Order: sequence, then C-alpha cells, then structure tokens
Amino acid sequence: MGLDFGPSGEQDGNIITTTIDKVVNWGRKNSLWPMPFGTACCAIEMMATLASKFDLSRFGSEAIRFSPRQSDLLIVSGRISIKMMPVLKRIYDQMPDPKWVISMGACASCGGVFDTYTLIQGVDQFIPVDVYIPGCPPRPEDLIDAVLQVQEKISSGASPKGVEVIYE
Amino acid sequence: MNEEKEVEEHSKPLVLEKLEAAHADALLAQDESRGTVVVVVRKERVYAVLEYLKTDSELAYNYLVDVTAVDNSRMESELMRFDYARFMVVYQLYSYQGQCRVRVKVPVHENDLSIPSATGLWRGANWLERETYDMFGIHFEGHPDLRRILMPDDFEGHPLRKDYPLQGRGERERFNFDKQNA
Repeated sequence: MGLDFGPSGEQDGNIITTTIDKVVNWGRKNSLWPMPFGTACCAIEMMATLASKFDLSRFGSEAIRFSPRQSDLLIVSGRISIKMMPVLKRIYDQMPDPKWVISMGACASCGGVFDTYTLIQGVDQFIPVDVYIPGCPPRPEDLIDAVLQVQEKISSGASPKGVEVIYE
Repeated sequence: MNEEKEVEEHSKPLVLEKLEAAHADALLAQDESRGTVVVVVRKERVYAVLEYLKTDSELAYNYLVDVTAVDNSRMESELMRFDYARFMVVYQLYSYQGQCRVRVKVPVHENDLSIPSATGLWRGANWLERETYDMFGIHFEGHPDLRRILMPDDFEGHPLRKDYPLQGRGERERFNFDKQNA
C-alpha cells in the first residue's frame, strides 16, 4: 500500500505517510461494485462466482448493483447482439468514472462461435475493455482472476482503459 | 408410435378424409412426415382451411404451435413441385382433443408475398407472424401490428432468406448509437 513510517524513521510514533492516490486506490480496489450484464451462459458462471461456493465477496466485490449509477465495474458476460449493443453502451456511459470493464468469455470478447449477421464480434469495438477472460464459458476461478487483475490495475495507479486521465 | 403407423396403413387419417370432403379444391398436395399429416394448401384458401381445422368439432386443432416459413430458392425439387413458389409458409397445429398434429404448408410466390393473417383465429399468431415477417419478409394481410420482432426496427433485409449473407452486410460493425437510443 506504500505506507511509510514517520520522517524520523522511528516506529514508536503514530504517524504514517502515504499519498492520497494510494489510499484512494486501496479503497477502490477492495470495494469494486460490479454491474452484471449477463446475456448468456457466462452469466450462470458469474452467478456461481457470486454465490457461496466461490464467494466473490472474499475479494470485496460482492455488492452487485443492478444500477449502473452505483457501479464501477462492468462485467459483460454473454453474447451481445446488434440490438443489445446500444443498451450496453448506454449502461457503460451511465456508470460514473472511474470505471472498469471485464469482457467475460469468448462471445463478449470476439463473438465466439457466432460469426453471424446479428452478433457483435467483440464488445471492445464499442466500449473500452480492461480485462478479457477466455473460455466458453470461463470457470468461476477465471472470473475471480479477472477481478484480481482489475484490482492489480487499480492499485498500480493505471487509468482504466476508457479514461485518459483521472488522477491530477 | 408403432400403433399410430398401423392405424395409418389401414385407414386414411381423419383429417385428410374430412379436408378432402370439405376443401378438396384447396389442397395442392398431401404428404406424411414422421407420423404427421402434411397438407399443402392454396394461398387463397388457407384461412378457410385453418378455420375449418380449428373449429370442426371432430378435428379441433385448437393450438397453433408455430408459424414459420421456408426459403426454397436453392431447393430445385421443391420449387418445381409448386409452380416455382419461392417461399413455403408453414403452420403447425395441434389438437388437444385428438392429441395429434397437422402441418399446413402454403406456397408463396416472391412477386406476391402477402398471405392472410391467422390472428383472427389464434391471438398467438401475432408474434409468430411478426417473426416470419422479420425473417422472410412475408406480409400477413390483416395483422394488427406487423413490425419486426427480433431485428432492430431500422434493420434492412430479411436475414433467413437464402440470399442474405450469413455474416450480414456490415450491420454488426457499424450502427448509429444515437439513432437507436432515441
């Protein structure tokens, strides 16, 4: 977390120093509120990830919000059709900054086996994606791994993919 | 299944007998597919035939299971059978009373894509006909609300036609977010 003890280097004092960024990022990292956008079988795996057996709350992400206004992590899990893409884009736009996006599974990432007229061949053509998860569908462990990668990204101070500068 | 077949070998299905008696001029062909009676019906008479199948007290095909269509444009043998009609509209009916099915097929030419709507007989035909319109471009005359049901409203073309490319005409790469959100 980048904590340092006081200027004198003594450990008996009650002063520790850090930077605002690091404290804020630490908070963000450990309280990601996901907005689930489940449209297919990946969503079933996402539910399993959130339920007791895999228990995503161990990583601080259990507060699933079905309102984009209260979320900072969008999990796109499933096929996105050309009729659904404007809805997804709108939800992404409604989420407050900073926000991160996980593209879960083959369909969301590249269209998967559905190389057809109606399916978006990868949501990253229209919204910025931070972490991709391969698999059809991915195991819950893969989704946990992706959340951990987002956490790593946050604590490293890197900007989300869709935002150019967030820290002054 | 075996029992059904034995019965059919000995006697004609009731539905065929009754249709031949009441609507002989409407029938273009009759067939059998895996134990289901298939009748091909003239377009002008399809509403009367469907109404008869539904309301006749002995037949009582009261459940419209599905309405769909087939594009036979690359199926030469089917095209030749029915005067080069490109589309075949298909109605699947089920009778709760007789616990049996019948399939009604209607050849539709490409230069006249209209066909009477069955919404007056079954309210459930509404969405089924909308889907058939969306996918094949068949116009159901008298339908109360013939809009696209699956594809976006501003979509062009009918994607289950054989001449529609599987990967589309670029709809999935470019579309107007503002227009669709409005």
